[in-house]
Amino acid sequence: MVTVDAAERATEVGPRPRRRRGIRQTRGYRVFQVVNAIILTLVVVVTLYPFVNIVARSMSHEAYIIAGQVNLVPRGFTLDTYQLVMSDPLFWTNYRNTVFYTVTATLISIVMTTCYAYVLSKKHLKGRTALIGIAVFTMFFTGGLIPNYVLVTSLGLKNSVWAIALPNAINVFNLLVMKAFFESLPVELEEAAAVDGLNTYGILLRIVLPLSKAIVATMVLFYAVAFWNSWFAAFLYMDQQELWPVTVYLRNLIAGATGAENIGAIAEANEVQAEATLKSVTIVLTTLPILLVYPFVQRYFVRGIMLGAVKG
Amino acid sequence: MFRRSWRHAAAATAAVLALTSVTACSDDPSDAENRAGAMENYAVGTQFKATEPVSFSILYNNHPNYPLKNDWLFWSELKSRTNVSLEKVAVPLSDYNQKRSLLIGAGDAPLLIPKTYPPDVHAYVSSGAILPVSDHLDLMPNLKDKIEKWNLQPELDTLRQADGKFYLLPGVHEKPWHEYSLAVRTDILDELNLEVPKTWDDVYTMLKAMKAKYPNIYPFSDRYSQPNPAGNLLNLLAVSHGLEGAGWNFQHVSWNAQAQKFEYTGATEQYKQMLQYLNKLVAEKLLDPESFTQTDDLARQKLANSKSFVISGNAQALVNDYRPDLAATNPKAKITKIPLPVGPAGEINPASRLENGMMISSKARDSKNFVAMMQFVDWLWYSDEGQEFARWGVEGTTFVKDAAGKHSLAKDVDMIGLNPGAPKHLQKDFGFANGVFAYGGKPELVQAFFSPEEQEFQQVMNARTPKSPPPPFPLSDEEREQVSLWETPLKDLVYQATLQFVLGQRDLAQWDAYVAELKSKNMDAYLETVNKAYERYREKHN
Repeated sequence: MVTVDAAERATEVGPRPRRRRGIRQTRGYRVFQVVNAIILTLVVVVTLYPFVNIVARSMSHEAYIIAGQVNLVPRGFTLDTYQLVMSDPLFWTNYRNTVFYTVTATLISIVMTTCYAYVLSKKHLKGRTALIGIAVFTMFFTGGLIPNYVLVTSLGLKNSVWAIALPNAINVFNLLVMKAFFESLPVELEEAAAVDGLNTYGILLRIVLPLSKAIVATMVLFYAVAFWNSWFAAFLYMDQQELWPVTVYLRNLIAGATGAENIGAIAEANEVQAEATLKSVTIVLTTLPILLVYPFVQRYFVRGIMLGAVKG
Repeated sequence: MFRRSWRHAAAATAAVLALTSVTACSDDPSDAENRAGAMENYAVGTQFKATEPVSFSILYNNHPNYPLKNDWLFWSELKSRTNVSLEKVAVPLSDYNQKRSLLIGAGDAPLLIPKTYPPDVHAYVSSGAILPVSDHLDLMPNLKDKIEKWNLQPELDTLRQADGKFYLLPGVHEKPWHEYSLAVRTDILDELNLEVPKTWDDVYTMLKAMKAKYPNIYPFSDRYSQPNPAGNLLNLLAVSHGLEGAGWNFQHVSWNAQAQKFEYTGATEQYKQMLQYLNKLVAEKLLDPESFTQTDDLARQKLANSKSFVISGNAQALVNDYRPDLAATNPKAKITKIPLPVGPAGEINPASRLENGMMISSKARDSKNFVAMMQFVDWLWYSDEGQEFARWGVEGTTFVKDAAGKHSLAKDVDMIGLNPGAPKHLQKDFGFANGVFAYGGKPELVQAFFSPEEQEFQQVMNARTPKSPPPPFPLSDEEREQVSLWETPLKDLVYQATLQFVLGQRDLAQWDAYVAELKSKNMDAYLETVNKAYERYREKHN
């Protein structure tokens, strides 16, 4: 019950000393609170500022960005770059791909990870150490880029969502966190369910999973963010631009705007893709949707991680 | 009995082996089995048209400014003119090289691999995945014609590998095309009654005059310092001093025509001279010391806010960066790219006449359409008609020609703002002037879409003597591996010392000590390897 003690201590830091030791401690505590508030406010400012700055930049004219005059408020307000990016039908095709890939790959990952983790959490499983070993082995050793490519290609997965979803279906770190969580569930619950006549699948689906919403939500978030942001697998295995996710699209757009490649022609003045603005627009467009998911999963997020980590 | 049958078996095996090797050696392209679709009498001036519909796979560098469309006029017109359709493997421009390496490494490369720069080829040669195209030039009459007419042989020789062959079909220019120089605020020149500087000494005088008038600023603050310090400035100075290149075009060895051997660029007297020059600029506070470390954005910022008047650039940087920046902060400012300042090497045009080109997968050799493919490549990339088609499109539809043969865009077609307001775009809507298909050629073609001021710049540069390429020194695989082990420490030392000398942290009197340090990092062994390879090649081919 070490964990409970720790949790109690954490919550009771405040009120208890005041009663026990009088005013001096209270003052000290107040000072602590003020300092704490200041530090946390600073942290908020430090983390929020780049964000606001990016949004401001994405709506500013490039000249002001280059001149270093954009801070919190857009200067030379313009939505041209947004228009430029969003008027391209390919952008929307690729955005749809991103959503599709993320949903599919996350579903597959969460099912696979849950099943594997649940099995590994059973101490009486024969060959359990070997199974864990196999998983952990992949954390440190990989086949390398070209062998992976050859494998995926010869399995016929190229140019399909499976090339993105299957090779990375189980993240070993997530697997271990989940395993630790399952191990922390009381064995008695499952025994009781077994006595009442549930088979293994019944126990998993009706008893364990409803109790594991927190960890599952956390894992979904982890996987979804990872797949949302990923571009490399799609870049490797997708040979048609209609199949790219939006990350590849925007990455390419930035590369085009930096002008490393050009055929000696000078871009039209009205079409100069403001590189500095473009980068910010890209960041806003790709991070906004996934950011909106956070508040809804937040409460599970914190609890889920704590539970898995502390009790493991 | 047993013995005899064993002997029989051995003889039979030997015979089979001999046969295989004979077939393997009969690489004669006139084999009937690889001529499917090829033309019998294909020559310069012939319109290539495959005798049957053929299709080739191609690695396609997808440019975000004109993303790939399958309904481009380019594809349909190409099909009707040549009977060829291309299967595109679309790769984002951002990571083209990586995907190319992957596909070649995995043995999954398309037949045609365009947009490859000469140094990139070395990595693939030993794998055998790339076709030695120099063996098949007989199938390419237009290329051969251009090599002869434009006297490109010395340049092509620099592409040769240790086996004496080359593996890249480069983009070839009739005239060298030099892009980068210094951009200078001409309104400041007018204000100070100065001429546009012609030589590097004039540049010094000009900066001096600017400093006298504006003592609180560094008149010259440069960009292109990532990842290497002052990439462009060092290169411009190096080529003006007769070296092969420095900065972002760092070349370990430079050819010394008098001594008839290669010297280590960073240890030459010329390199010392240019460092002295830069050191003078820094010491007199004419050149911003941050030029060697700052980001491009910061350098642009200084220019935009009139904290500096001179900066490196090319035509695109001028039009896309500097002018819009200045227009926002200082509408009266004028900036232009001056002709490359002349240095001790005299009035030369340092640019190469080769640019990125095409590799061909060696598995193409086994295709029954091999000859047709080579003819097709020759027509599209090297014939006058093919180059005109790739760049300008279809006469009457996308462009018109006047009596003198000068091209101009059709009225409803735009490109780089030549027909502002036109409803269609040459690249985006038709697929012409595409970086994958259009490169090299005559100056009229290459410069067709240049702005008038850039054409003027090119005229000045073309009036100068083209720099002759260094003789080839193809290294063997082992040598290349050995040399590449030496290269990084050497290069690091040169960069480090360059900065120290220029910024005055190290006295130029210590030059000899620096050269000794280079020697301790295997400079001599490096030079010996290169010079031996040069001698070897010379003996074999002269």
